[in-house]
Amino acid sequence: MTDELELLKRDWQKKEFDVPKLSYEEIHKMIWKKSSSIVKWILIISILEFTVPHLLYLLPSMREGMEIYDKIGISKYLLILSGFTYLIAFYFIFQFYKRFKEISVLDNSKNLMKKIIKTRKTVKHYVIFSLSMIMVTIIMMVIGVYLNDNIILAFPELKDSLENISQEKLKITIMLSIGIFGIVLTLAMGGIYFLLYGLLLRKLKQNYSELRHLAV
Amino acid sequence: MNKDLEHKFVTELQDNQNIVHKVCTLYTNDRDSHNDLFQEITIQLWKAYPKFRGDAKFSTWMYRVALNTAITLYRKRKRRIDTADYESIIFRIKAEEYDETEELQLKLMYKAVKQLNDVDKALVFLYLEDKNYAEISETLGITEVNARVKMNRIKTKLRTILNP
Repeated sequence: MTDELELLKRDWQKKEFDVPKLSYEEIHKMIWKKSSSIVKWILIISILEFTVPHLLYLLPSMREGMEIYDKIGISKYLLILSGFTYLIAFYFIFQFYKRFKEISVLDNSKNLMKKIIKTRKTVKHYVIFSLSMIMVTIIMMVIGVYLNDNIILAFPELKDSLENISQEKLKITIMLSIGIFGIVLTLAMGGIYFLLYGLLLRKLKQNYSELRHLAV
Repeated sequence: MNKDLEHKFVTELQDNQNIVHKVCTLYTNDRDSHNDLFQEITIQLWKAYPKFRGDAKFSTWMYRVALNTAITLYRKRKRRIDTADYESIIFRIKAEEYDETEELQLKLMYKAVKQLNDVDKALVFLYLEDKNYAEISETLGITEVNARVKMNRIKTKLRTILNP
């Protein structure tokens, strides 16, 4: 094998690869093209993850939806919770920025991969945190409904049709639907997220573990 | 100033483009992907160029960026693979320079190398470019001992591919 590899080496070094040589103009054009590296994708997806949930609150229909919190009497607690959420989010954005800046193509391969994975982990932790916050909100809503003594008041538009149903039954129905909706929403968001990153980083992770597990 | 830098960069890359073509040849299977990867490497080189100091040779400096792009940053796009056509062009070996057995041997070797995983290819690439183990270990971020062990394993792997 060594002989064959040596033969290959001689050929390799002699070889002018039989591909069309690029001209000065062609290369010059290339340097202004947009990169499509995974680092760039991680940046784009992360910015979306940080901003999209907050943009949702700007939609009028979402704002109307917020009124329900008032009606079931948990808006005070939710305000405290969202203040806390923003604080943590800023911490994550800062961490992400710091890690992202550390990524350099001039690093050795192993370090480069390690830093990309670390950067991605910051976002992963943020997503896990966000999803838990959704769950906390849902749990608070369920508790709010449970503690509310006159739940029909929260749904004035449904007053007529709800009159025949007992308070107990109505409460359980609402609690169940909020709970199920919350779980489905969280699972769906988490699923999309992990699928996206799983696909994006599959190759990188393979190569990283290849470099890391070089047991002698 | 910026125009100067641009001009210097493009000229140097044009002169050394063979290195990038070699990396692309190892890591892609068709002409479009080859060009795609070439472009991504060019972009990464250009982005990193302000940090390039003249104390190293431009070509030496390129190895790291090109390999890092190929094994870490580059995202393969889904494509119909047209390997046969591509390989017959890239690995065309000038018949007059070799006897037939050698030519066949080389063809099989190239084929075998292309079947290795990304990291193994990087090692073989640096080896073929006549880099010593110190340089290989530094580029990939592994110890020199590991690089040697890995290279030996690759030789075994290639042997298995060639003589199944």
